Amino acid sequence: MTRKVATYCYQCVAGPDLLTVKVRDGVATEVEPNFAAADVHPGGGKVCVKAYGLVQKAYHPGRVLQPMKRTNPRKGRNEDPGFTPISWEEALSLVTGKLNEIRRKGLLDESGYPRVAASFGGGGTPQFYMGSFPAFLTAWGPVDMGFGSGQGVKCYHSEHLYGELWHRGFTVSPDTPLTNYLISCGANVEASGGVAGVWRHANARARGMKRVQVEPHLSVTGACSAEWVPIRPKTDAAFLYALIHALLHEEPRSRLDLEFLYRHTSSPYLVGANGYYLRDPGYGQPIIAGSLEAKETHVALEVGPDGDVLAEGRLEGETAFAKLVAHMKPYSPEWAQAICDVRAATIRRIAREYLDAARVGETIEIEGRRLPHRPVAVRLGKTVTNGWGGYECCWARTLLALLVGALEVPGGILGTTVRLNRPMSERHKSVKAGPDGLMNYPFNPTDAAHWSAQPNIRNAYRSMVPLAADGPWSQALGPTHFSWMFLDETPPGLPRVTLPELWFLYRTNPAISFWDNAALENRMARFPFVVAFAFTRDETNHFADILLPDAGDLESLQLIRIGGSKYIEQFWDHEGFALRQPAIAPRGQARDFTDIATDLAARCGLLEGYNAAINRGTLGVPLKDLSLETTKSFSSEQIWDAVCKAASRELTGGAEAHGLDWWKEHGLATRPFPRTAWYLYPTLAAKGLRFEMPYQERLLRIGRELGRRLHEKGMKWWDKQLAEYQALPAWKDFPSEWEASLAAMGGDGKDYPFWLLTARSMQYAWGGNVGMQLIKEVADNVAGHRGVILNASRAKELGIGEGDWVRIATPKAEVRARAVLRQGIRPDTLLLLGQFGHWATPHAREFGMPSMNPLVPMSLELTDATGSGADLVRVSLRKAA
Amino acid sequence: MNWLQRHWDARAAANFMLGGAGSGLMVAALFVDDPSVPVILSLVLVASGLTAVWLEIGRKLRAVHVFFNPFTSWMTRESFAALLLFPLGIGALYVPPALPFAAAAAATFLYCQARILRASKGIPAWRAPQVVPLIVLTGLAEGAGIALVFSVNEFLLFLFALAVIARVIAWWRYRAAVRTSALEPAGKTLVWIGTLAALVLVFVPPLAGLAALAAGGWLKFVLVTRASFNQGFSLPHLPVRGSR
Amino acid sequence: MTRWAMVADLRRCVGCQTCTAACKQANATPPDVQWRRVVDLEVGEYPDVKRAFVPVGCMHCDDPPCMHVCPSTATRKRPDGIVTIDYDLCIGCGYCAVACPYQARFKVDKASFAYGNPTEIEMQTFHPERLGVATKCTFCVDRIDAGLKKGLKPGLDPEATPACVNSCIAQALHFGDAEDPDSNISALLAENQFFRMHEELGTGPRFYYLWDKAR
Repeated sequence: MTRKVATYCYQCVAGPDLLTVKVRDGVATEVEPNFAAADVHPGGGKVCVKAYGLVQKAYHPGRVLQPMKRTNPRKGRNEDPGFTPISWEEALSLVTGKLNEIRRKGLLDESGYPRVAASFGGGGTPQFYMGSFPAFLTAWGPVDMGFGSGQGVKCYHSEHLYGELWHRGFTVSPDTPLTNYLISCGANVEASGGVAGVWRHANARARGMKRVQVEPHLSVTGACSAEWVPIRPKTDAAFLYALIHALLHEEPRSRLDLEFLYRHTSSPYLVGANGYYLRDPGYGQPIIAGSLEAKETHVALEVGPDGDVLAEGRLEGETAFAKLVAHMKPYSPEWAQAICDVRAATIRRIAREYLDAARVGETIEIEGRRLPHRPVAVRLGKTVTNGWGGYECCWARTLLALLVGALEVPGGILGTTVRLNRPMSERHKSVKAGPDGLMNYPFNPTDAAHWSAQPNIRNAYRSMVPLAADGPWSQALGPTHFSWMFLDETPPGLPRVTLPELWFLYRTNPAISFWDNAALENRMARFPFVVAFAFTRDETNHFADILLPDAGDLESLQLIRIGGSKYIEQFWDHEGFALRQPAIAPRGQARDFTDIATDLAARCGLLEGYNAAINRGTLGVPLKDLSLETTKSFSSEQIWDAVCKAASRELTGGAEAHGLDWWKEHGLATRPFPRTAWYLYPTLAAKGLRFEMPYQERLLRIGRELGRRLHEKGMKWWDKQLAEYQALPAWKDFPSEWEASLAAMGGDGKDYPFWLLTARSMQYAWGGNVGMQLIKEVADNVAGHRGVILNASRAKELGIGEGDWVRIATPKAEVRARAVLRQGIRPDTLLLLGQFGHWATPHAREFGMPSMNPLVPMSLELTDATGSGADLVRVSLRKAA
Repeated sequence: MNWLQRHWDARAAANFMLGGAGSGLMVAALFVDDPSVPVILSLVLVASGLTAVWLEIGRKLRAVHVFFNPFTSWMTRESFAALLLFPLGIGALYVPPALPFAAAAAATFLYCQARILRASKGIPAWRAPQVVPLIVLTGLAEGAGIALVFSVNEFLLFLFALAVIARVIAWWRYRAAVRTSALEPAGKTLVWIGTLAALVLVFVPPLAGLAALAAGGWLKFVLVTRASFNQGFSLPHLPVRGSR
Repeated sequence: MTRWAMVADLRRCVGCQTCTAACKQANATPPDVQWRRVVDLEVGEYPDVKRAFVPVGCMHCDDPPCMHVCPSTATRKRPDGIVTIDYDLCIGCGYCAVACPYQARFKVDKASFAYGNPTEIEMQTFHPERLGVATKCTFCVDRIDAGLKKGLKPGLDPEATPACVNSCIAQALHFGDAEDPDSNISALLAENQFFRMHEELGTGPRFYYLWDKAR
């Protein structure tokens, strides 16, 4: 008998994809798009290549199919863990025994850090598979989620933080359905934008959108772009600054959107001699000049950090915009040419094309509302938006939109989701009035009364990174490498960083996906008790004490929100819910994650808090009158039945309350999501708020305050990062940071002449699917999956032929790869796609394909003020003997 | 993007080597004083080649299906030629006047082999029209070369020299049309060993014959297994990605 | 007369290999057998280099060299243009595979599985009749035939459309009747400039590559 079961795939942040699984005689055989979703999904209801691996994943012979216990107490890469099968009863007794012991001792340890830690992978996507486990964690209390596996340092970090500050853009996307001209600095949307991204950009190309791809190697996105600009690595800020220079100094001012700049941004705010806004002495509000570029004198106050009055009386001020114009003066295209290795004429042409395409002054009707129409955008990729230079790039990108009024309007750049502001489900509701006529932002405090040198978790985000805020996502957006680095040497001023007594792992593999893997392994080996929800054995759960098999993607139950506006290109015309349901029976002894979580809660005596968290909406929908009785244990089906009913009610305004059976049959349900909700500008305008651009007075003040607080505690080790808090960020020689790092490792630049970069592989990114033979087979059709990509002419000079083994090294570490010779890469650049280098994961350990991660140091010097770093390292390249 | 075909390996190459030399030998047997041993050897060689290729096919028990498409397939035609060659060859052992008929069947067989390669549109090194004289003349030169082991007469020597020279001309014409670096070493061997050395060695006829045989066999082996690159894919127009 | 054909819009294709994966799964092909795949090509030299993604597979040629060389008549051409292989006739000589200019044909002599031993799904979808014979893209002929019987339109109704087309996330792949002037692909061919792979070989491939708008 054959049937089709509707479900979803959310293996990566560009999901969810809605699909059906063909099940023949109880065996899943085939994934297909859920054609019923074609009309509501922005990618025609199609399904990404990764989802096709789900069938193989269910039947993977390397799956962990019963709970296992470590028998070898020694931990290390070369130690056989000696995992032996145990019963669920024994496994959960061991785990809850440890948890209850911790509860007795206290949830925080002697340093004040949570004794329990948890790490989840892939940009938050594990939560779409972990059932009600979040409710268990909520019921538990403080948990350290800051042991990173890449989040925070290998994401679009500056974009996340500054994007949310400036326009509620945790992720920022062009309004692809309308954008006509797109400058894409390293953004690999054809690999990372998921089905919606690929679908929309293909439509945009058909429409005639011009995309200029600026990146050191010709990625799949570069391939699909109208133009490739092979820029020198980590110099994107200079390129963007030169574009701004061209707009400000080489084009008539009238071509900019002066009305937008004056009315809807902080451009006309007057800035005093000390760099802070001139304020009305009575109300304390910034004084707005009569024109965009003016010098005016007013009776005013100039207030610096900690409320210090720096000046008062009749003070002369210059508008923020005038300061910007002066600030950008040195950054000419000729200046940038020398830095970026991009011809000044090219930069100038791109600036002119951008301006021509911006249609300043035009409007468009969206759902009956007339809005500005600015079909131009700049998009930034990973490594551009993180580490040093990330701030400057994000600022420049937002500014380029600002100058032509293309911020949060049709055709321009859009923030597509919020993660640090509340509520997370609706960015418009997060637009609240803050100080100075700008949007509020939940900075971590830097004032003397509220700042604390006692972090809540080991990566100290609350103390060190005001922009990281303090919400559920903030832990993962702090300097997540600090949790690892400080285990051996906690810098002065912070409580000694301790090992967590129990560490939960789910869908994450930091031993592969983080940097300096050898050091990371050494630290993980010291963790006393590690509980891993395991699909197969891998490089991280190699250090675990308990392996627990959760029912897989096609075997378990969960309802999630879909649509609305989410990551990257996931802004839809619909919103609603989709169900993941068992297409096949759980294999072996795998258990539904919700049942595991309920069991854990019951055994820890936390059932009441656990059910209460579910009732409050931890699983995505508040249950309200459908609430569960808090003292009882419920099955996964019972819990999700209640969630399904609550979701139905929400969708239909209370008219319907379809239970689990209905959702199993239909798979999804949606209602329209207004397109006007894609654009934040009207909401700001309606609330009389301005975009906090171009001048960063708040960041300047916060930085100074943070500096004072740290220095009061004798903490000088963050001084370099404090310098990033600038009102108008200046170009710095960002590549030199990595050259200095090489020197610190004992290397000489001329011996290590290559920049080693990485790029996303669509077939693998975020997926945790490296063990799928199908994925490996099809991914190998895309250049770079079998080895390191290097410039063919440069390879010839070095005597390296296609397929030759080469050694890629820093002074500290080395990896080997096969040479893949291509024309589409700068001669000074090497590219290692994805993150491989597996040594324990079944199947993947046979790839012979390395990762750049073992070569990249974890370094305070390479950490920017937001607590992030970048996937970049200087290396040598030699033919292997 | 070059892609070396791997469907036909040494077993298929053996058919071209053994079958080509064997069928050439049947033709050369016409000019041998006592043709019986050469005829037997010819049949053994052709049979060995066919056995080798039989070992390569995926469904050996269905080998008879090879006869189903005489209308367009040179492989079917080759099989029919072989089907004629064996009774005629055996018959010639007993009824010598049958030998010319056997030789005609062998020549047909050889020609079919050449056309088999020529019909392979995916492989530039095979599909060139110049491959036909090259394969046919290689077979004849090899056959004449083997014949020299059994019998030396001036006419045979003359025919041998003629075949060897014709073969090298065919090679040069082929090489002018098809530039395949993978064939270069084997081509050089054909010129130096298979032609020049063979011609110099006509005073030691068996050696001359073996030199011509070895060089020809090697060329065919390389042609089938190592120079058999598919032409790959090419784009007469590059896609326009958005506006220009 | 119906003439099924495939259209690949090279402007849209991003080389994601979703079609490759969908084809492998829908047709249960063994490891390294890819009836549909997307080739990653570079043209030019740094820095003037272009990279393109080209979906390839059996082109279901009007004049298929594979069919002409086939000694067993296993390879045939249906009136609707689909080139078929009769697995019961094929002797697995591989001649068609070397004759095909498009690297479209495969032959696997021994059963092979993703992870060595067959998994449950592979046990269920294993095709012993495909061992030792030539295989290739069928245009998902079973879906087309079954769909037509139900009155569905191949290329428009997913149930009657090849799996690769159904799966394409860029709307790069299209399928339909090239002889029907009102079909989806006739419209695409009228509105755009296209080429066919190795046209000069005279095979008449039924796989059209769009590269620009019609002038």
